[in-house]
Amino acid sequence: MFRIVEEAIDVGALVTGAFRPDCGAVATFIGTTRVDESSGAHVEYLEYEAYRPMADRKLEEIGAEIRDHWEVGHVSIVHRLGRVDPGEPSVVIVVASPRRGPAFETSRYAIERIKEIVPIWKREVWSDGYVWVGSQVGTRSPA
Amino acid sequence: MHGVRVLLFGAAADRAGVRQTEVPVNGSVTIGELWPVITDRHPGLAPMRDTLAFAVNGEYARMEDEVSPGDEVAVLPPVSGG
Repeated sequence: MFRIVEEAIDVGALVTGAFRPDCGAVATFIGTTRVDESSGAHVEYLEYEAYRPMADRKLEEIGAEIRDHWEVGHVSIVHRLGRVDPGEPSVVIVVASPRRGPAFETSRYAIERIKEIVPIWKREVWSDGYVWVGSQVGTRSPA
Repeated sequence: MHGVRVLLFGAAADRAGVRQTEVPVNGSVTIGELWPVITDRHPGLAPMRDTLAFAVNGEYARMEDEVSPGDEVAVLPPVSGG
């Protein structure tokens, strides 16, 4: 299941949804909002936007790449948009495979590919301005 | 539809001051030819050129790929999901 959502992600349901009798391993990667600090300021929250439906299709492509190269029984990727507060998940990847190797490898592969090809952008909103991650464009004064 | 619909995202939308604009074109033009027309209207985008990718109708495209009236061109800063 590949989805882009605007509300909180139900991580428990995603994980249990991957349980299958033909798979003995489920690996999960969860990206959450981290509060960085610099120059006496701190990150208050992250805000994500996407180019849809291209972003939805790119998530599905990553799923297809995984199925083409590894033996997996289930792949789910859910990415959240909008404001994501500290400690909350922005992305959840769940892979089930018969044995643990492909589950670990592909959950890593999926997050790296998201950061390469999926048109989603993250804005760090700091206590003293904001920064578009990757472009370093924003309103924070240079450190 | 007499132009190309240009969508801007993230830092590019910030720099341009708009998220969407319509650029008139006569027949087919390459993205490379379209780019100076976009930056004429939104000069703040020009310094971002080397960091940007482009998509046509929802798929990554190269500067030499052609677009025609009715197409949708997306200006994509470095992606930063996750």
